[in-house]
Order: sequence, then C-alpha cells, then structure tokens
Amino acid sequence: METILNVAHGFGVALLPVNLLYCFIGVFIGTLVGVLPGIGPISAMSLLLPVTLSGTPESGIIMMAGIYYGSMYGGSTTSILVNIPGEAASVVTCIDGHEMAKQGRAGPALGISAFGSFIAGTFALIALMLVAPKLASVAIAFGPAEYFSLMVLGLVVLTFLTQGSMAKALLMACIGVVLGLVGLDSITAMPRLTFGRVELIDGIGLVPVVMGLFGIAEVLLNTEQAIKRDVINTKITHLLPNKADWKASAGPVSRGTILGFFLGILPGGGAVVASFASYALEKRLSKTPERFGKGAIEGVAGPESANNAAAGGAFIPLMTLGIPPNVVMALLLGAFVIHGLQPGPLMITQNPGLFWGIVASMYIGNLMLLVLNLPMIGMWVQLLKLPYNVLFPLIILFTIIGVYCSSNNVFDVYVMIAFGVIGYFMRKLGYEPAPLVLAFVLGPMLENNLRKSLILSQGDLMTFVQRPISAACLALAVVLLVGPLLPALRKKREMVALDEGA
Amino acid sequence: MSNDANVKFRLSNSELWGGLIGLALGGFVIWSGVRLKLGTINDPGSGYVLFYTGILICLFALTIIVSAVTEGGPTLASRWENTRWSKPLLIIACLTLFSFALDTFGFLLSAIPLMVLLLRVIDPVRWSLTIPLSIMSPLGMWWVLKHLLGIQLPSGVFEIG
Amino acid sequence: MPRYSRLMLAVAAIGMLMATSATAQEYPTKPITLILPWPAGGSTDISMRAIADSASKILGQPIAIDNKAGGGGTVGPATMAAAAKPDGYTIAQIPITVFRLPLMQEVSWDPAKDFSYIVHLTGYTFGVTTSAEGPFKTWQDVIDFAKKNPGKVTYATPGAGTSLHIGMEQIAALAGIKLTQVPFKGGAETNAAVLGQHTMLQADSTGWRPLVDAGKLRLLMVWTGARSPNYPDVPTLKELGYSMVYDSPFGIAGPKGMDPKIVAKLHDAFKKAIEDPAVIATLAKYDMVPNYKNTEDYKKFVVEVTASERKVIESLGLAKKTN
Repeated sequence: METILNVAHGFGVALLPVNLLYCFIGVFIGTLVGVLPGIGPISAMSLLLPVTLSGTPESGIIMMAGIYYGSMYGGSTTSILVNIPGEAASVVTCIDGHEMAKQGRAGPALGISAFGSFIAGTFALIALMLVAPKLASVAIAFGPAEYFSLMVLGLVVLTFLTQGSMAKALLMACIGVVLGLVGLDSITAMPRLTFGRVELIDGIGLVPVVMGLFGIAEVLLNTEQAIKRDVINTKITHLLPNKADWKASAGPVSRGTILGFFLGILPGGGAVVASFASYALEKRLSKTPERFGKGAIEGVAGPESANNAAAGGAFIPLMTLGIPPNVVMALLLGAFVIHGLQPGPLMITQNPGLFWGIVASMYIGNLMLLVLNLPMIGMWVQLLKLPYNVLFPLIILFTIIGVYCSSNNVFDVYVMIAFGVIGYFMRKLGYEPAPLVLAFVLGPMLENNLRKSLILSQGDLMTFVQRPISAACLALAVVLLVGPLLPALRKKREMVALDEGA
Repeated sequence: MSNDANVKFRLSNSELWGGLIGLALGGFVIWSGVRLKLGTINDPGSGYVLFYTGILICLFALTIIVSAVTEGGPTLASRWENTRWSKPLLIIACLTLFSFALDTFGFLLSAIPLMVLLLRVIDPVRWSLTIPLSIMSPLGMWWVLKHLLGIQLPSGVFEIG
Repeated sequence: MPRYSRLMLAVAAIGMLMATSATAQEYPTKPITLILPWPAGGSTDISMRAIADSASKILGQPIAIDNKAGGGGTVGPATMAAAAKPDGYTIAQIPITVFRLPLMQEVSWDPAKDFSYIVHLTGYTFGVTTSAEGPFKTWQDVIDFAKKNPGKVTYATPGAGTSLHIGMEQIAALAGIKLTQVPFKGGAETNAAVLGQHTMLQADSTGWRPLVDAGKLRLLMVWTGARSPNYPDVPTLKELGYSMVYDSPFGIAGPKGMDPKIVAKLHDAFKKAIEDPAVIATLAKYDMVPNYKNTEDYKKFVVEVTASERKVIESLGLAKKTN
C-alpha cells in the first residue's frame, strides 16, 4: 500500500510542467547523442551538468537521467542502418540488425528495438520501485573472484554466439583481451605494449576499435561487390514489426528484460554482458539457430531489451548504496551531491519525493521516447534508399567525426582506419569481430579482478570454486564450452558453421 | 595461381596464414608478458595475464594450423574471387592520405577532398551531385558540432574550421 | 578568414614565443580538460567537479572532467605528462602518489621536472571502516585478530602506494601486525568491497560517509589531527597511539613548460573557486577544507613532501631497489 502512495506522490512530482519539460529535453538530447556514434551520454551529461544547477534537484536529475536512458534508445539506430555500433552494448545488435536492414527490413528492426526498449525500460522501472532496496545486496555480493568468473562466463558465452569455427572465435577473444590491456597497468602504473607511443599510454579507445572493425570494414566489404548495394535497396515492405515479428520477439524481449535487469545491477560491464548473453541465449533456445546472423529478429529484440533493462537495473546500486555501477551513474551521483543530496541507504527514506519523482519521470520519459522514436523510423529507412556509392562516403565521414569526438584525438582516427583494414582482412579470412570487441571490453576487468582475487586468496586458485556465485559462473562456462563437443550438439553447430563467410 | 577451392599443405592456404599470424602474435605477447614480469601467484605482476593469454593465443593458432593442414582450407585467391578487390584498396589508400592530411590541414580542408575522391573514384557519382555533397556534408557536420555541441574539430596549421 | 590565417602564419613564423603569448591573452578560447586520476563518484571526483564548475564560471569556458583512474591516482597525471601539450587546455589533479610512487618503483615521469604546478587546493579526511556485520567493533579487535592470523586481515585501498596503503603499512609496523593490501581503483570500488565483506577493512577518504551514517559500515578510526565533528566518538590515529596525521593534500598541475601567464590565470580561477561558499559546502560533505597554496609555495611544498615521503618509504622498506 505504501508503495502505491509513494508512486502516486512520485507522479505528482514528475508531472509538474517544469519537470515534464526537463524530462523532454533530457530524452531529446539523449536520443540525439545516442544516434551519433562516439558522442555518448557521458560527454553530453558532463557538458550539461552545470546547466542543471540552476533548477531544483529534481528537475536537474530528471534531465540527466533522461539523457542516459534516451541514449540507450538511440544507440541501436546506426548499428542497424549502417553497421556502426556507437557503444559496446550495441555491437551485438549489428549482427542481425544490419542483416535485417540489408533484406529491406530495417523498419521492423528499428521498430522492435524501440518497442523492446520500451517494454524492458518499463519493466525495469516497476522492478526498481518494488524491489530496489532488497536487491542492493546483489550488487555487493560480487567481489573480485565473482567478477573474474563472470567475465570468464561472458567470454565463453561470446564464443558460442559466433557462427564460424570455435578456435577462430577463441583466438579473436584472446587478441581482444591483449588489446584491452594496452596502456598503463591499473595496479602498478607500468606502461604495457605501448611501443613508446604516448597516445597508447591511455590504452586503445573502444570507439575507434568498434567503428573500424564494424563500420569501415563493412564499407570495404560492400564496395568490393558490385551487386551488393542493391541488396539494401530491396523493397521496403513495411515500417513496423508485423504479427509474425511480434510472435517471434515476445519471448526474447521478456527473457532479455529479466537477464538485463539483473546483470545491470552489477557494477562494471553489466549492460554489455547482458546484451551478448541475451543473444547467445536466444540462439541457444531457438529451433532454427541457423537463422541467427542472417537477419533473425530475435537477435535484435533480445539484446536491445536486455541493454535497456540493464540501464534501469543500474540505478539500484546508486540509489540504495550510493555506489555508481558505471561512469554515467557516477555523473548522476555527482549531480546529486552538487545539489546537496547524498544517494545511499538513507536516501529513499529521507527524500521520498525525489526518489519516487525520478522513478516516475523515467516512466514518463520512456513513453516520450517511444512517441519520439516511432515516427523517426520512417525517416531513417528513407536514408537507406540512397544509392550505396553516395551513402558509403557519408558513412566514412560519419565514423571519422564520431571517433574524433569520442576523444578529441586525431590518433584515434588513425586507430580506426587501421582497425578498419584489419577488420576487412579478418572478415575475408572468416574471423569475426564480435568476440574481439567483447573481450576487449571485458579483458581489463578480467585481469584486474583475477589479480585482486589472487592477492585476497593469497595465491589459492580454489577461491574461484569455493565461492558459490563464482563456482556457478564457472560451472556454466564449462557446460557451454563442453556442450558443443557432445555429438548431438555438434551436428547443430556444424550446420550453423556452414553459414561462415556468408 | 591455383583455382582449387580447397588446398592442404600449400602456401596459398588462407587458413594456414591466419594461423601463422596468430602464432607470431602469441609469441610476441608471451615475450612481452615475460618482459613485464610475471610476479608470483600471491601477487601477480603486470605481465601475468599477458603471458597466459599469449600461451592461449598460440594454442588456438596451432589448432587452426593443424586443421588447416589436415582438413585443408580455401586458397587466398579464392577468397577474393569475383570481387572488385581494387575498390577496397583504393578506399584504404584514400583514408591513408586523409589521415596524413588531417593533422596538418585540419578537418575541413582534408574531409572535402576525401569526399570528392570517394564519390568519384569508386563508383563515380555525377559531378553535379559530387561537388555539393562533398562540400555541404563536412561543412554541415562541422557547423553542428562547433556551434550546437561545442566540439572543435582539428583546424590544422591554417586555423580553418 | 584568409586574412586571419595569414596573420596566424606570420605570427608562427616570427616565433613560438610570440605565438604563445598571443594565446595567453585570449586564453581560454575552448573547453579545458581536467584529468582526475580517480573513477567518477568518489570523494575526489565530486569535490573536484564542484571546484571545476566554479572555476569554469570564472574562466568563461567549460571544464570537462576526464576520469583516468588507476595506478593509485598516477595514471592520469602520467598520461598528461607524456601526451598533453602545455597549452593550458589539459590540466590534472595531482595526488600525493605522483611524488611517492617514483620513490617506490620505476615510473615514466619525474615529479620535479614533468609538471607545471598551478595551485594547491585541499586535503582529505581518511578513515578505516569495516562492515557493520563484521566481527570488528574497535581497532583493538583488528589488532588482536591480526596477531593470531598474520596476513589474514585484508584491507581495500584506492591503489598501491596511496597514503592509505602507506599509512596502513606504517600502522601495521607500529602495532607489530601484518596486513594484506588489495588495491582497487577508488572509493566507489572500495565501498562495495568492504560492504560485501570481500575485504575485512577499507582504508579510504570520506566516500564511506553515507554508508557509515546509515549504519552499514563501522568507522574504526580517522587519520586527521583532531576528531571529526561529524563522528565525535571515533578515535584519531594519535589517540590510538600512532603519532601520525595523514591528509594527503592535493593540487592541480599542467604538463611541463606552461606559459606563466596561463598558469597565473588558472591559479586565480581555482583560488576563487575554493573560496566559493557552494564549493566549501560540497567539500564539507566529505570533511574536506580548503588548503590554499600559491604556485611558488606549491613548488616548495612538492620538494618538502618528496623528502619526507622518502624517509617514510625507506623506513617501511618499500623503497625502489637502486642498482
């Protein structure tokens, strides 16, 4: 009962005209920066943080939160349209989303990702209202050993979702880990694999790597085939998902939502792991796994829902413990503190109006996003009608600007071009870029947590098996790795493997 | 060159080359790991994870090489069969030129020629479209970034942009 | 436009000196990047954001915060020293580890040469906490447990070589116990570690405050000279019998070779910022008070700190092995 009263109170705060306006500005900017790869929510929020200081704490924080989940909506657009993921979490959307666009189904792909995001966002908020305080313990149950095992599981899940040879996928994952470790060691501050280049001391940026491996490599592959550009131009039958699409997507959306919400609670790579895990799960459960990688709508619906539910789950450790699970949440924490509020175990009781107001505003913001995004689908689809020889220089220009904006560094443009060339040859030889990217993101966390857990356990490797959560993750990883070796499953994999290079 | 789609122990076997590159990379990573010091298992050093990842890379690369030799793989030539292989090469050349020009001449002065090149060289677009498109698109993006988002693109030695 | 560029070429041709002084007059003409060597959301991050926000109003250009965490707060300044131009558009917070780590191991920077020190700003309140559900009620409990189980007591710090690490090792040496340090990347991570009882103790600056206030963490001691007004029941290091005070004062610096005029401009802006009541209020949330030193005093202070740190590091046997 109390919850309902609180929710009503929250909507009272969120529906104030000024807060509605701030919420709209927030989601609008969020959609914009989400669509532009490279310019993420972090830079937009840093720039706008001072602006929020003039208003009340509620409106400032409502706007900042709007930018965050708004950018999650927009993030998939370029992945689907032109195979450029703006961030790690939308890498997996490229696999089937862009394939759908090539088949003239960009509309349903964009549509299902908007609806999936809406459903997942709404569910995550309801869960946030009902169980936030109870789930706080989940966030801190994960220590270094648990994180290490989770990262291992994440990497194994990833090899499972590739279409080609297992050895190649694992090789790519290992190379991704190594690339992720370039730069100063986070524990001892020793420079590693920097070859004396000062730009590498900071490590290789994620944005140039993904834009090179996906965006530029895709352009190179497309231009070598004279016919291919017409493929994108096949008739666009309908703009929104039809009945069959919905039927196929219902399961993936609901599973992705739950998976994303729980993984989102974890500080660290929650959203990234969630989107990849959801894809792997859907492929595993599907009766026709061979369709994955060739434009299966389930492969868009699941990960996109997971990624948005994770954005909701990420509020739990911040609101209940004052522990920000990612940089964006940390910026929000900064906004709270500058407004004289301290998120933590006491915030919900001391400042119910603020907490419930923000949650209610996110619900309204999600609705605004759906209304804002659906009409834009038609516009995006029109973009694909451009002939490819006009479109591809624009794509290249777009990636160059996006990469430069992500770091204000010309060196990153070189890195992107280099990874574009590497990505092209990788794809020609049947090596897929997705495992590399995920390992690149998870690698540094894997290393850091392995070293910390070994210090904690004083060199005892048994710590990973003795701790229940860690053991469960590792057991699941082993099952996934050994599974394909069993004869019955092997057949299935080989069928999938035939698609390699397609 | 052989047109056999599948060759075994031949230098034109593309799978073999992939594995060999992987193996070399793995060796380098192991060597870097050792140089960065492994530390002990109680307190792993900077090279600890690199070293073991390097070993894994070698292991997977060897698997690929073994299967390349025993099961065979497509030739390098067949990977590029029926493709316009010169086109990606041209784009790579244009991008390389662009990356050298970017720092010196700034974004606008290097992006406009890049657009002209890409539009004309690969699948020529008619000039009446090429010129406005290659001038307007970099200029438009530059304007939006500079004036709406407060992001400065490189302006080069002439301070244009 | 062409006229302007010809002018710029002429200026460049006459000499870099003229060119830089020309920039100093206009400075700042674009957003400034302030590197914070800690993850977002810790006490340093939030207090520096408040300071930077106030300073940016005075400078008339936004200050973008760039969190480059790791290496006990040295990765950020080291990156800046190696890669940034001394044009005043990249500056960094300089934690004490920048002076200390070079005494302990091979590093890529020289604190005496590689930075243009700008202004000294403030210092921290440090404390040691444990989970409220854990067995330790007082510091004495920790000592008793550690005596029976040498090396089994683990503590989370925001990085190896931080004041928290050095301070804990000094305390352990004085108490005759052995503790095991686990280096994390900052307050947000150490809070989670001690809250989830992954480490037994947490040694960090006041990022633990909301959790202590909520009764989730127990504060065992503070490292300030006098007791904290917020926690009058918590003993200081001195009262526990360790005659030390740790506050790890910090300031900001740019890469070496910055124009003195730009340094002066930044100095003035940040000095005004720490006098801003809104900033003082934010600092007070973390039990921090402004500790202003001008550019010259800051440089002297760097020399003094390096000397005193050398003594401590050598006495703990953590000094770099010189061949």
